[in-house]
Amino acid sequence: MSTFFQFVIEGLTIGSFYALVALGYTMVYGIIRLINFAHGDLFMVGAFIGWTGLTALAAAHVPLALALMITLVASMAVTGALGLAIERVAYQPLLRAPRLSILITALGVSLALENGVLLLYGAGFNTYPHVLSHAGFDVDGVQITFAQIGIIVASFALMIALYFFVYRTFVGTAMRALAIDQDAARLMGIDVERLIQLTFFLGSALAAVAGVMEGLYYTQINFFMGFVLGLRAFTAAVLGGIGNIPGAMAGGILIGLLEAFGAGYVSSRWTDVFVFGVLIAVLVIKPTGLFGERVVERM
Amino acid sequence: MIAQNNDTSGADRVLRKTTLAALSALAVLAGMAPSLVQGQGDTIKIGVPVPLSGSSANAGTDIVNGAKLAAAKINSAGGVLGKQIEIVPEDDACDAQTAVQAAQKLVDAGVVAVAGGYCSSAALPELTTFHRAGIPYVLDASTNPKLTEMGYDNVFRTIGRDDEQGPFAASFIKNSLHAKRAAVINDNTTYSKGLADNTVEALKKDGVDVVYDDAITPAQMDYSPTLTRVAALKPDVIYYTGYFSEAGLIVKEARQLGLKMTLMGGDATNDPTLMKTAGPAANDMIITTAPLAQFLSAAHGYVDDYMKAYGQGPGPYSVYEYDAVGITAKAIADAKSATPAAITAALHKISNYAGATGTIGFNPKGDRSVAVYITIIVRDGNFAPYQRQDASGHWMTMK
Repeated sequence: MSTFFQFVIEGLTIGSFYALVALGYTMVYGIIRLINFAHGDLFMVGAFIGWTGLTALAAAHVPLALALMITLVASMAVTGALGLAIERVAYQPLLRAPRLSILITALGVSLALENGVLLLYGAGFNTYPHVLSHAGFDVDGVQITFAQIGIIVASFALMIALYFFVYRTFVGTAMRALAIDQDAARLMGIDVERLIQLTFFLGSALAAVAGVMEGLYYTQINFFMGFVLGLRAFTAAVLGGIGNIPGAMAGGILIGLLEAFGAGYVSSRWTDVFVFGVLIAVLVIKPTGLFGERVVERM
Repeated sequence: MIAQNNDTSGADRVLRKTTLAALSALAVLAGMAPSLVQGQGDTIKIGVPVPLSGSSANAGTDIVNGAKLAAAKINSAGGVLGKQIEIVPEDDACDAQTAVQAAQKLVDAGVVAVAGGYCSSAALPELTTFHRAGIPYVLDASTNPKLTEMGYDNVFRTIGRDDEQGPFAASFIKNSLHAKRAAVINDNTTYSKGLADNTVEALKKDGVDVVYDDAITPAQMDYSPTLTRVAALKPDVIYYTGYFSEAGLIVKEARQLGLKMTLMGGDATNDPTLMKTAGPAANDMIITTAPLAQFLSAAHGYVDDYMKAYGQGPGPYSVYEYDAVGITAKAIADAKSATPAAITAALHKISNYAGATGTIGFNPKGDRSVAVYITIIVRDGNFAPYQRQDASGHWMTMK
């Protein structure tokens, strides 16, 4: 029984990363019906900005807690701004173009980001300084580290904050209105362009948090890391019902648990088969996902 | 194409003089004093096809440096059959197509033997070209078993092959660690799966219980679920046969889970990224690998000479090239002839050449009859030599 709960802890940890990244997919889709395939790479860019900041601050002997705070905020700001810039340059001109053009552009942005980082940082692996302790405790044979708890708590806190922002604030209400009907929202006096930009900024900043946490927890980053994680986070968003915020959170956690139980009880080599099998099954059997209800009412 | 050997055009002479000047400069740097003048226009050419461009260019340059050092040493002692050895490098770019052209250029340049090779995928087409031309090819760094399984009689190698590492690892697990239960994890790539299969086969033959033999999906971040599962099977040792990036994560996550068993890796985990990723958790991890020159007592002189000549370490494979050139020169001397066929025949007869990497002889396939592998261990964030097998197969600690 203790291995079962060990898998649960591991699945929750893995799923936290997927959920944070899945939120970005789902928010952008909810607002402009774009599957932003570059989103996984924004997660990667966030990790690299965090690496640059943390190594520079460590070299300057800035106290660790302060360095972590600065790094996190800087990575969120820069990655958020990058997401915004991508929207401006690559997506906005195509908002009225056929859906396929903008999807292909997103793939192009993804490749551009990957190769840009490849040129700037090289093809090898960069490693974060070892700042998270491996300390933890043992509950009846289940090993839990404080780092794991920190990751799970931090991502749940962010997800709840986002939920309240979207469902309980004036701006959030405007975003949801936009998701339901863009033209009607514009007629109500909502600044559609600004809200789209805000959505891109928030989604990218969340991806940056996930990127920095991944770097801190796993220590190893490289230019390709956003591809694997991005596809799984996308699957999580589809599983939860793409466009639906609580759905993305639940989908992320479920994919994380699936990965842990799949590797634990069957074999890690089947992980991709399980995860993408879920993607196909959802698309075929219930395209609206677990939480998606009527297609018009997203977010 | 016609009689390039005796071409006395101005350009060729300038080129040759430049090569000789470079060689003598090198020899002086290495602290030796060869009399190169006597061999002018009448050298024994040994080809060295390696990648000199692209991502493997560094390794190729190291290998050419090793070859030149070997030639300088032989030449300073009077050369072979009264002639000087001339190293002819050629860029194969680690690419099968370029490799065919490189091999053809070497054949056209009149090399009597070839010592080199780095990427197995480039060495294979080169080998075919040299086989057609009847020229012996002594491999220094290409470890794919296929190279000596083609049925060609002109191929030799001074390094072990991938499928010899498995039995070596199994012997270490059984006879040095005295493990009763072993878990073997691979990453489903050709190399990794091959090494895992060879190890598992040898472990079973040795009577070690293989409790886990399965693959992970590479490029993930979290292997804790797999490790949790493996831990429940209570192995005494986990041997991971994949690459260093996943190995770093696996080691870190295993220690995070509080696992205490011995952790081992194959030679593809032999990279400092492992320690950077895993941090202190990497300590005491043991890796099976072909030895670096630094870890071979017979190669200490070579390492010093290399440092003196090039101002940097000799890289992982140049010492095998040094021996490849050395054993080729020995074969020429034994054959008392510098014709390719005679050199091939003489190479087959060599059984105990004292090289910098130990005693070298070849089995009928051309593989090194006693392949050298060692184990290294991570101590305080660095690789240190650990144990090797003596001639009778006993495990002894290395200095």
